[in-house]
Amino acid sequence: MANEPAQEYIQVTYKKPRPYRWAAGEYLSRLYRECRDNKRLMTVKCQHCNEHVWPPSKVCGRCKKPSGDNWVVVSDKGSVVQFTYTNFPMFDPHVGKYMTEEHPFATIDLDDCEIYWVAKLEEKDKDKLKPGMRVQAVWREEGRGGGLDHDILYFRTIEE
Amino acid sequence: MGNRVAIVGIGQTYHKSHRPDVSQMELVNEAVRPALADAQMNMKDIDAVFVGNMETFEGIYLPDHSMVDFSGAYMKPGFKIASGGTTGCSILEEAFHCVTAGIFDKVLVAAFEKQDSGDSTGAITAATTPAWGKGQARGAIHEFAKQALSYIKHSGATEAHAAMVRLKADKGACRNPYSHLKLGLKSIDDILSSEPLEYPLRLFDFCPQSCGACAIIIANEEETKKITNKPVWIADTICVHQEIFRAGAFCDFTGKERYSQEIAAERLYKRNGITNPRKEIDMAEVYEPSDWEEMLIYELFGLCPRNEGWKLVEKGITEIEGEWPVNPSGGVLSTNPIGATPTVRIAECVLQIRGEAGEHQVTKDVNTAFATALGGPNWTSMILLKKSV
Repeated sequence: MANEPAQEYIQVTYKKPRPYRWAAGEYLSRLYRECRDNKRLMTVKCQHCNEHVWPPSKVCGRCKKPSGDNWVVVSDKGSVVQFTYTNFPMFDPHVGKYMTEEHPFATIDLDDCEIYWVAKLEEKDKDKLKPGMRVQAVWREEGRGGGLDHDILYFRTIEE
Repeated sequence: MGNRVAIVGIGQTYHKSHRPDVSQMELVNEAVRPALADAQMNMKDIDAVFVGNMETFEGIYLPDHSMVDFSGAYMKPGFKIASGGTTGCSILEEAFHCVTAGIFDKVLVAAFEKQDSGDSTGAITAATTPAWGKGQARGAIHEFAKQALSYIKHSGATEAHAAMVRLKADKGACRNPYSHLKLGLKSIDDILSSEPLEYPLRLFDFCPQSCGACAIIIANEEETKKITNKPVWIADTICVHQEIFRAGAFCDFTGKERYSQEIAAERLYKRNGITNPRKEIDMAEVYEPSDWEEMLIYELFGLCPRNEGWKLVEKGITEIEGEWPVNPSGGVLSTNPIGATPTVRIAECVLQIRGEAGEHQVTKDVNTAFATALGGPNWTSMILLKKSV
């Protein structure tokens, strides 16, 4: 086995763009525009149950009714509920490569809205991570408007 | 009330991480043939064939078409179901609906996954649309890592309890001729010292990727009486869908959500007059991708009060020899051919009810059992099986 020649990989580059066009829909698009243009998170509060619908959606699944147009700003600060980190590279089909994620992922309880959001933390030192730590979103200087990770780099530890 | 329906034949392959010796079609055929032999039938007796598979995991589309000859579907009706982790249960549920409604008399279901063909974790990661969730999805492991953290926080269970679940699974797997991982674990230290995967999950806390297939034949009451004297009756089936919780996790941070498992069990028990599942049902084969998940679902299926699932493990209640055995086969922790994983759970319950599970037959008599399936995003399917109705 040791003398077997290494496998040769053939790489083919397609110059033609792939024709995928993902529509985010009316409500999610508004969130992305707010992130890109105003560096803030927004969502809709359901007109029936008065809960924040996250991600913003035209329909509240719980009420099975239109969620309405009561748009509110959501805090980009929150508390870490739990965190986890991966110890091995995982295949990311969006880029076609095995990727090692250096940043821990955390579930963050955003302030005053009962939105629990999974996002990356800036702090890589595992000894400095603890549940309850306060964090705030770090926005890209130039928003791209193509999804939250296009506009928010990660969440940074803050002192309060 | 529809027609009564029974399982009259089962067949499964042995499971391994790689099966380069067979094609996907040949793998399915390995399960179809013993199922037909078990029912003493041949393909001309079957009215319809349903196939279960998570096709993107192998990177091919429409496997039900390419394996018409090998599944026996040539010139017969049927369809394929792909519903994530619940696939192998959904396929039996739909076959049950067709037979109980009188559309078909005898149906063969064949479910499989050949995970040496592709990258299942990559496919799961791609399951989120780029419009929402891209960059957050880290495969199934990430979800169950978060769930384990929540379970630790709320229940007070320790890593040692999760390791006890894994040790129990391995004991069953080592006695099961069809299981994949037979690790021969000696103590919980073997699990606690295994490599970290994603905090707090270690290598042995999580299920493997297996190649395997499982086939089941069901029939209506009239046909069942002609086919077999050891039918296992499908008393009821249920499926509950749920969007991902607010944090996109198999756990609830708000304390306001109800789990799909809890709702499914509640409805299934109510419809079947079951008030105490620990007394009125004898055992279960559940879908537990991680050892932490198994402790949580004891609670959600009503086998114990909330946050006390780990106590059942500590007392040995869910062991093969225990008062209420769970996953004597070794479960998903030992064997995980994703599309077929729930079908294997059902087939294993059938073996236990018939008393044909051999070395992993539970000590107590089994008259009633349930099999479950879990799929993303947090769907639950359950099948209630009985020796007599």
